[in-house]
Amino acid sequence: MAQSHRLPSRGLVDRARTIGFRFDGRSYEGHAGDTLASALLANGVRLVGRSFKYHRPRGVIASGSEEPNALVELRTGARREPNTKATTVELFDGLDAQSQNRWPSLAFDLMSVNQLASPVFVAGFYYKTFMWPAKLWEKLYEPMIRRAAGLGRAAEAADPDDYEKFTAHCDLLVVGAGPAGLAAALAAGRAGARVILADEDFVLGGRLNADRRVIDGATSPDWAARAVAELESLPEVTVLRRTTVLAAYDGGVYAALERVSDHIAVPAAHQPRQRLWRIVATRAVLAAGSLERPIAFGNNDLPGVMLAGAARTYLNRYGVAPGKRAVVYASTSDAARTVLDLSAAGVEIAAVVDARGDAPALQEAAKAAKAPLILGGSIARATGWRGVSGCEIADASGRTLKMECDLVAVSGGWNPSMQLSTHLGGRPVWDDAKAAFLPGSCPPGMTVVGAAAGAFGLAQAIAAGAQAGVEAASDAGFAASAFDVPSVDPEPDVVYGRGPWRSPSTSAKAFVDLQNDVTVKDVELSAREGFVSVEHLKRYTTLGMATDQGKTANLLGLAIMADVTGRTIPQTGMTLSRPPFAPVAIGALGGAHRGKEFKPTRLPPSHFWAEEQGAVFTETGQWMRAAYFPRSGEKDWFESTMREVETVRTKVGVYDASTLGKIDIQGPDAAALLDKVYINAFASLAVGKARYGLMLREDGMAMDDGTTTRLSDTHYYMTTTTANAAAVMRHLEYAKQWLWPELDVAFASVTDQWAQYAIAGPRSREVVAALVDEGFDVSNEALPYMGATELTVCGGTRARLFRLSFSGELAYELAVPARYGDAMIRAIIKAGQPFGICPYGAEALSVMRIEKGHAAGPELNGTTAAADLGMGRMASKKKDFIGRAMAGRDGLADPARPRLVGFRPVDRSARLRSGSHLVARGAEPSAANDAGYVTSTAYSPSNGHWIGLGFLARAEERMGEIVIAHDPLRDGDIEVEVVSPVFVDPEGARLRA
Amino acid sequence: MPEALIAKSPLRPHVASEVSAHGDAGVTLRERLDLRLAQISALRGREQELADAVRQAFGVELPATSKRVVSGPVAFAWAGPGRWLASSTAETDFSALPGAVSDQSDGRAVLSVSGPKARETLATLISLDLHPRAFATGDVALTHAASIAVTLWQSDDAPTYELVCFRTFAATLWRWIAHAGASRGIDAKLG
Amino acid sequence: MRIACPHCGPRGVDEFSYLGDATLTRPASDAPEAAFADYVYFRDNPAGEHRELWQHASGCQSWLVVTRDTRTHAISQVEAARDVALARSKGAA
Repeated sequence: MAQSHRLPSRGLVDRARTIGFRFDGRSYEGHAGDTLASALLANGVRLVGRSFKYHRPRGVIASGSEEPNALVELRTGARREPNTKATTVELFDGLDAQSQNRWPSLAFDLMSVNQLASPVFVAGFYYKTFMWPAKLWEKLYEPMIRRAAGLGRAAEAADPDDYEKFTAHCDLLVVGAGPAGLAAALAAGRAGARVILADEDFVLGGRLNADRRVIDGATSPDWAARAVAELESLPEVTVLRRTTVLAAYDGGVYAALERVSDHIAVPAAHQPRQRLWRIVATRAVLAAGSLERPIAFGNNDLPGVMLAGAARTYLNRYGVAPGKRAVVYASTSDAARTVLDLSAAGVEIAAVVDARGDAPALQEAAKAAKAPLILGGSIARATGWRGVSGCEIADASGRTLKMECDLVAVSGGWNPSMQLSTHLGGRPVWDDAKAAFLPGSCPPGMTVVGAAAGAFGLAQAIAAGAQAGVEAASDAGFAASAFDVPSVDPEPDVVYGRGPWRSPSTSAKAFVDLQNDVTVKDVELSAREGFVSVEHLKRYTTLGMATDQGKTANLLGLAIMADVTGRTIPQTGMTLSRPPFAPVAIGALGGAHRGKEFKPTRLPPSHFWAEEQGAVFTETGQWMRAAYFPRSGEKDWFESTMREVETVRTKVGVYDASTLGKIDIQGPDAAALLDKVYINAFASLAVGKARYGLMLREDGMAMDDGTTTRLSDTHYYMTTTTANAAAVMRHLEYAKQWLWPELDVAFASVTDQWAQYAIAGPRSREVVAALVDEGFDVSNEALPYMGATELTVCGGTRARLFRLSFSGELAYELAVPARYGDAMIRAIIKAGQPFGICPYGAEALSVMRIEKGHAAGPELNGTTAAADLGMGRMASKKKDFIGRAMAGRDGLADPARPRLVGFRPVDRSARLRSGSHLVARGAEPSAANDAGYVTSTAYSPSNGHWIGLGFLARAEERMGEIVIAHDPLRDGDIEVEVVSPVFVDPEGARLRA
Repeated sequence: MPEALIAKSPLRPHVASEVSAHGDAGVTLRERLDLRLAQISALRGREQELADAVRQAFGVELPATSKRVVSGPVAFAWAGPGRWLASSTAETDFSALPGAVSDQSDGRAVLSVSGPKARETLATLISLDLHPRAFATGDVALTHAASIAVTLWQSDDAPTYELVCFRTFAATLWRWIAHAGASRGIDAKLG
Repeated sequence: MRIACPHCGPRGVDEFSYLGDATLTRPASDAPEAAFADYVYFRDNPAGEHRELWQHASGCQSWLVVTRDTRTHAISQVEAARDVALARSKGAA
């Protein structure tokens, strides 16, 4: 029967709009404004899922994001989403949901035999049952447990949707759009303050929509709707529906998740699925209301057992009767409303059980509903197979009454939702009268109002909210006019749920944490085994560790532990909540920038040209660099790289060196500053000359290297390695601002200002000569090795020309403003054609620098000192510099420290591997015998065999010695000869040619 | 004699040359190719000399706080203590100013983001408060757009924001703005 | 966490990078090795107020001395490191 439990009137759903949806393959109908939970209940569907551990039948317990039970898989394919709370899923046309954690079907679940084995699955079962023999863990126990337990299935395909991050600033953030939150937002918003009001629901008003209250003569939903309409008309107020505030951080920063498109089948074009908000708020009002807690009794997990307040929500907001015949079991006066609302909607009240017998409102309601009243009684257990069909009630004298019913509405009181107030370490305080933890010290700027602060009355909540709103506005400099607190319908004296927390024990399972299947017995067992602290209770039983973070379970578990151990609740403790308040998809945390857009991609000026040439690229941090330029007929990177090296060594090649960090250094103290950061002297460098420099960290280890050119007395141009450009800039600013603040020097990053090409090889001078404008002399006399000059190229483009060489050949670096970089590479290739020029990539460069013994990243690895790199003698003795003192300590001067050397295989056909460790011939390859390691290797076309660089202890005494390069990972132990690290042109004749 | 070199934008061809909204554009994205840029740092003891020289040459006061001043084709944006980013739509030569002057005409790229949805689009990348009560025409901020360092200023009340980044980040920044603007009616066109 | 840069105003902590203890002074160049070892390696780890160096790395590049309570992250003072360093060297002179 279609919507068998839909009431003829009532509710905020749009009965004119019928929505079709599917659950476990069956088609149903609901209305616009329904949640999946309300629509299932409207159709009489009570069994919604199976539980985590015991596979027990489960239904809908709550009506919001605290729902521990009704978890479903939503959508299909790449958008499949497990563990979605049916109570928060807004119904949309074509919604397709599956129950989860059942096999083969929801109604008949084979795994529910887990219940029979439940002695095995008691609390701590992970620690006890499967410990021995350990080897069975991976192969048997874990797969078995994973099959039997678990929650839902993640999608297997990549998430097709977009996510977005967004930052907003406001004078006041209001968390929760119930009566207190609406009043706060109105009071501050009317005054002109910038207000953000966020609520996780899609209809704002909180309990105003769930209860039948009267405010200023209007029904409470009407009052809420009018308040929202007014807020939306205020230009400085932002109203965020479907937005959960997840976390509070230092400095008034809050995280919130807006479910932009979760309520439709597929996001609209260009719309994100979800948006993660960072909200910077001067003040915050936490008006998140409160969440009801159950009382534990036997079989309290059967479908048909529901929180009393949730039952009202389904009646009043959705127009759905959650049952036909109800028993109401409560220790609070608030449940009286449930009795009255059920009765008014035509639901028969089978009995009202006032657990303490001290709630007059409850008793009056029972009378009004003409229902039997049982004072001081309890429900021993609910009965039924896949849902409640009755219950056994123990009265105060111990007699058992059997009642037929299909709904048990239960209330053990209300817990203020003050999780956000504890995110910065604030500790809640137990209020014995209200039987609730109330917010303790709050994050700076936060005020908690309404039910979240334990002010459970409607009038109180509105007044407190308005007051907080006025204060926030005046704080932000806006004079708020007094807020007329509206009149509300009479509120009876409140009786809070002060226990009992559980029915006297029965043989039936009584659940505390429904999602993690933690029972009263598990809490008792935990106490017996000595896990009496609340933190131990949590870890031992997994209480409160499920996706709902125990919103309905934590206090109950704590109270039962207090009971069992004869302590008070505050003596027993309190579990603090941590962010996030509700689960967040990883996609939302990742945001828009993922895949290729995860980080910026920096393309050197020759990139487009290199693409045209068919270059193969390699990522270096954010940069894309050409690795090599394959030519037709070349079968792999090796062949192309060897050809490029050969061309540079015999003719000429060009390489885009623009990725090197470049820093402009100016000022009267530029030289003094350089002398502080480099180990060698720069004050003595002549104008028009470049010098290689090494900088250390203060602990004496090498930090970076590069060449620095003196352009004028007070102007230097520094280059850094590609990887360390930002770190060196930071280091320079540190030296200038903090270590030597009296120095007068200024830095500018010019990395991207210049396109800088290395033109290298015996014919490079001829190529450069063809590019420079008339009147500029690039001969060896005019521009010797390590010379630098400013000139123009290609008919007037200003350029800098440096005689630098990383390859070891006669070489130049030509820099032009970056906008000409693309044209420059084309011009270089054209000018170089008569001389056989080819472009070369990072691979060829690496081979050539290893052939020359130049240190690079693998050698400047953070653990090597200048002396280790063979540069100890470069260090000036005449000046102070960063790292000088620590570089001089005995440990770093020890000849036993590994020093940079070269290696060549004894068997010239053998391949050397970097990462190999060095041991003496005949010695056991052990840590004790470790004499060093190989850092860089390459096949050297110039030598015709593999070569390597690395660090070896007592290197100076061991030249010519044969040692073993031990490579256990790749099963390659080879004999290598210790040689000088310079394999090509050791005298440096070529680069000075 | 080799041919004269032709300048190229840092964006072309690394981004789609045109993305257009259906209907009214909420946000317009353009590149500014008409600017000369220079970073100018004051030298110690010569701060006044620099300020005087700027006043004399361009008739404006160098801003001491995070502001941008405009004088005809020339503007000076505060770029940190004792540091400014000078820009000009003319052939202005800043190198003669008495300070540490570093040409940035090729080192930086300037993107302009304008229109009623500009602020909302930028809020996906920039965590600053750009509400008119907090940030107005003439204000400057040094910050980052997602992970890209930018100098940002508001140049009119449209509002138009200009984002200055290092040249090799410009293509990524462009794509990120265009992506964020897609749901807000982007009109992105290369100059 | 947010840090109020004295030049740029309050910004999210993601714009800043952390270095460490700001109460250390780099020893004079002729100081004994032990003084440098202390300076490089030894740090107090106070539960409470801590003066520490941060750089407004995604902003104005200024190095800052931030006084922060390590228990609450409450920041009581932010100064330009250069000003602190200049005042200190004047004090020492």
